[in-house]
Amino acid sequence: MTNTSKTNTCNEIVFSTFFKNQAKSLRNFLFYKYGNKDEADDLVQEAFIKLWQNCSAVPLEKAKSYIYTIANNSSLNVIAHQKVVLQYEKNFSGFDKTNENPEFILEEKQFENKLLKAIENLNETQRVAFLMHRIDGKKYSEIADELNISVKAVEKRIHLALLELRKEIDNLK
Amino acid sequence: MDTMDKNYILAKWLNDELTASELADFKASDDFAVYEKIKNYSSRLEVADFDEEKTLENILKHKKTNPKVIPLYRKWFINIAALLIIALGITFVMQNYSSEIQYAENGEKNTFLLPDQSEVVLNAGSEIEYKKWNWNTNRNLKLQGEAYFKVAKGKKFEVSTNLGKVTVLGTQFNVKARKNRFDVTCFEGRVKVNYKDSEIILTHGQSVSFEDGKQRNIIVETEKPEWLENKMAFDKETLNHIADEIQRQYNVIIEIKAKNTNALFTGKVPTDNLDAALQIIATTYNLKYKKPATNKIIFEEK
Repeated sequence: MTNTSKTNTCNEIVFSTFFKNQAKSLRNFLFYKYGNKDEADDLVQEAFIKLWQNCSAVPLEKAKSYIYTIANNSSLNVIAHQKVVLQYEKNFSGFDKTNENPEFILEEKQFENKLLKAIENLNETQRVAFLMHRIDGKKYSEIADELNISVKAVEKRIHLALLELRKEIDNLK
Repeated sequence: MDTMDKNYILAKWLNDELTASELADFKASDDFAVYEKIKNYSSRLEVADFDEEKTLENILKHKKTNPKVIPLYRKWFINIAALLIIALGITFVMQNYSSEIQYAENGEKNTFLLPDQSEVVLNAGSEIEYKKWNWNTNRNLKLQGEAYFKVAKGKKFEVSTNLGKVTVLGTQFNVKARKNRFDVTCFEGRVKVNYKDSEIILTHGQSVSFEDGKQRNIIVETEKPEWLENKMAFDKETLNHIADEIQRQYNVIIEIKAKNTNALFTGKVPTDNLDAALQIIATTYNLKYKKPATNKIIFEEK
């Protein structure tokens, strides 16, 4: 009489809800890693298909680590790494809108580009952790969970990412 | 800032975890402005959209290949079925194995059939306990008080009382075990009576009575015990014994305020006419009786 009542992901509503909660952040994670959006989308789809097919064997509380593991494993060989091309939000045009000095505006634009470039140049582990925090707004504990590392290790990666970004921005003239 | 800083202060700051003094120190540093900019600008980054709906649709088109869904469902079914069977089994055992008890309250008689159609008539103020389970091979019952048995043919039939045991093979007999008095009367067939160390075989028309180790053999001429026909038969009984019997038959309380009551009574007393019964006793013992309440009787000297 054990475990028969545990929720698994076979119910379509349970599965769909889980998908909507997790798919985008898994896709983003794969994108930060490889920079290849189409591949990331495909990997997400593959991972969730495997979950759907094996739903009866995967209890809901294990489903998240299941999809991250699948996505990570299947991506090891296939993916050609590309540059991680990010963009700013469409309605974003700098922080200081009161300063209309052309020189200031130009400087701001330059900083925006330098930051994108610097992020592209970060090593993979630092970039992934940094972007999961900045774009997906995840807590360090969540990032640690998904990457299967300690919170301390996440802090280290973020810390090093920031040091690296600051150095790069200085170097990019 | 120390590059080797093990506290990862930049990560703490980015996550708004610095203490006030740490934050003040950091703000005072030359690098703060750049870090602040990195923090602000990176918060406005985004990734190209992801078509969730379409991806989900694609995924759900795939069949669940794992057939474990059915075993799980079946397991449920089996669990429920097993539970039901166990519950039914327990109910069956409880009904059959647990003791069946039949009573006759004071002033009542109770006639009932045992599982093998043997007939039992319980006299007033008596009780029988037996088990339905496996009755036909184990015909054993416990009696308190008095009962008449008309036993169906079959295996050994045993009546246990706190005074002695009666064992029979297809017969009619009466057993009475009250206080320290144990009476067995056989009306048909053969009855084996065990009382303490002695064992007696009775055949039809024979009766035996034990009281405080004393044995008394009586010949009976009736076909059935008198109490079945609303009479009490006494053979050299004391007044106390007769009063006990009347109390049970009529569900009354009798008090005897007389000294000279040692005479022994032989005769029959009705069980369906209290006044007639009391009159017989009063005449025999030369007493008078009164009823201060409906169920209270006092015998006194005239």
